[in-house]
Amino acid sequence: MKRFWIVFAKEVTETLRDRRALAMLGLFAVMYPALLWLMMTKIINDATKADRETTEIVVIGAEHVPTLIGVIEQNGMTVDRRADMNEEEITALLGKRRHAAVVRVAPDFTSDYASMRPGRIELWFDSARDERAKVRRLKSALGAYSSTIAQARLLAHGVSPAALTPVRLQEYDTASGASRSANLIGMMLGMFFVTAFLISLNTAMDTTAGERERRSLELLLAQPVHPAELIAGKWIATSSLAVVGLTIELLLAHVILKWTPLEEIGMAWSLGYADLALVCLISIPLCLFAAAIEIALAMNARSFKEAQTMMSFAVLVPMIPALVVPMLDLKTAEWMYAVPVLAHQTLLNELAKGHAVPALAWLATGASSLFYAGLAVAFSTYRLKSERYVLSV
Amino acid sequence: MIITEDVRKKFGSVDALASVSFTAQDGQTTALLGPNGAGKTTLLRLLIGLLQRDHGNISVDGVDPARDPIRVRRDIGFLTDQFGLYERLTTREHLDYFAKLHGMAKADIRRRTDEAIALLGLEDIIDRRAKGFSQGQRIKVALARTLLHRPRHFLLDEPSRGLDVMSTRALRRVLATLREEGSCIIMATHVMQEVTHLCDDVIVIARGRTVAQGSPRALCEQTGIASLEDAFVSLVGTEEGIAA
Repeated sequence: MKRFWIVFAKEVTETLRDRRALAMLGLFAVMYPALLWLMMTKIINDATKADRETTEIVVIGAEHVPTLIGVIEQNGMTVDRRADMNEEEITALLGKRRHAAVVRVAPDFTSDYASMRPGRIELWFDSARDERAKVRRLKSALGAYSSTIAQARLLAHGVSPAALTPVRLQEYDTASGASRSANLIGMMLGMFFVTAFLISLNTAMDTTAGERERRSLELLLAQPVHPAELIAGKWIATSSLAVVGLTIELLLAHVILKWTPLEEIGMAWSLGYADLALVCLISIPLCLFAAAIEIALAMNARSFKEAQTMMSFAVLVPMIPALVVPMLDLKTAEWMYAVPVLAHQTLLNELAKGHAVPALAWLATGASSLFYAGLAVAFSTYRLKSERYVLSV
Repeated sequence: MIITEDVRKKFGSVDALASVSFTAQDGQTTALLGPNGAGKTTLLRLLIGLLQRDHGNISVDGVDPARDPIRVRRDIGFLTDQFGLYERLTTREHLDYFAKLHGMAKADIRRRTDEAIALLGLEDIIDRRAKGFSQGQRIKVALARTLLHRPRHFLLDEPSRGLDVMSTRALRRVLATLREEGSCIIMATHVMQEVTHLCDDVIVIARGRTVAQGSPRALCEQTGIASLEDAFVSLVGTEEGIAA
């Protein structure tokens, strides 16, 4: 037990002097919450832009259609009246990105209107710009204007305008805000926990494959230390780094999500600080699992480089539940709490939606990760003891 | 004292050690002389309990390394041509780490470290990190580590491979100190010069068997050949894998 602490202390000292390990820690612990913040801000901005911003429309030949101008303005758009322009001038105007669209009323609109021929109105817009919501609103205003005239004409001929609308479509959207956001937020939450694997990666490789590469492992094995003590020291040192990184990341992400107006896009983050503390605690077994599995894999590589190749596959594995399961749109089920990463993701997702998580689920989340971590550590110890391994160090 | 009796070890169907028997006395430097691939490294790994023998007996001061490897290792200093330094640790931290693994008390570590600094001239590198150390500096650190816990036994596996003159002299100085203190030193080597300069006793090993044991002079008398080198070649039966 005492020698476990000696190994642990030495690995921690080395890791704290390893710029690469610290850079990974800083990068992933800070970068992910930062990315999250950027992404959420953008999504919310885009979703609410159409409501907040005034939509400016250029109308050419506005004098022919005073009623239309009224309809457009009633719909909350500002009309900028202009003299006639040719195609290049309109394109250039739209290129300035001030106006969402240009409506050009043909000069003969009034005469066509009077003789009940379809009057020509052109709608110019740039579909490459992200102004679809504004253009859609303009189009529906134009549609409303057109059908108002049609109805008035029918009435004048003694026909009920209802004859024009044999079908009345009424839409009902039953999605609640939380369920709509479940996929996206589920995926995001899963990615939180993948960080545990990324942060521990460098130390896991350095303390195993790195020792082999530097040929210090043979020497270490010749010391009066049990293989179990060696593995345990390296394992706990590696996990500690992941625990620190994941805790920082979760705290940052929590603050960010708390301060982001998620309700505007129908998402929820209803975690309190007590819940957050519990989530951080329940992440410790996950960090232990991540470090254990990475050590079990990396110790088989003869060099740091070989380990890197091996680990790039290993890191993909925890991403599968994090990315794929939300896409499958599965209902939360008990078995999910027995799969590391997925368990943590499900748990956090339930908490975020404001659901109560049963004690058994918490227990299963912690116990399953610990169980697999134990298996991986037992395997590593067994490997380190085996003659075949000793011969190859 | 290290005693082996008819030790055998197979890897698959290959006999790494076919039959090895010898006694290495305290206060002596015993050379384990053999061509490359004779089984020297395998034998040393059996002595520290890293590998398990298939047959025979091994006793390191009465302890069997297969039964209690931890106890045996506590009293062994092990040095190979790979010095196994940690680049991000200073020399002092490196020595501390291994001394603590051997269960040494803090005061002892400090005293022994000061002794090692004086013996090997480590003053300029004791608080420097190992990154960028020269080969000579590396072996000094490795030597300091090996003798810090004052083990009763020393196992050296081809220690002088790739050493310059100054480093070789440091190695010899350490070996002389240890021999005076009554340690039992076994040095696996295929370099004749080291044997004649450093060793009191020679065990000749070839194709996994001990073929002769005795002082360099006794070996010459046994074969009736004047130079140890020729005697060795005649004992091993080949010139392959031997360095003058």
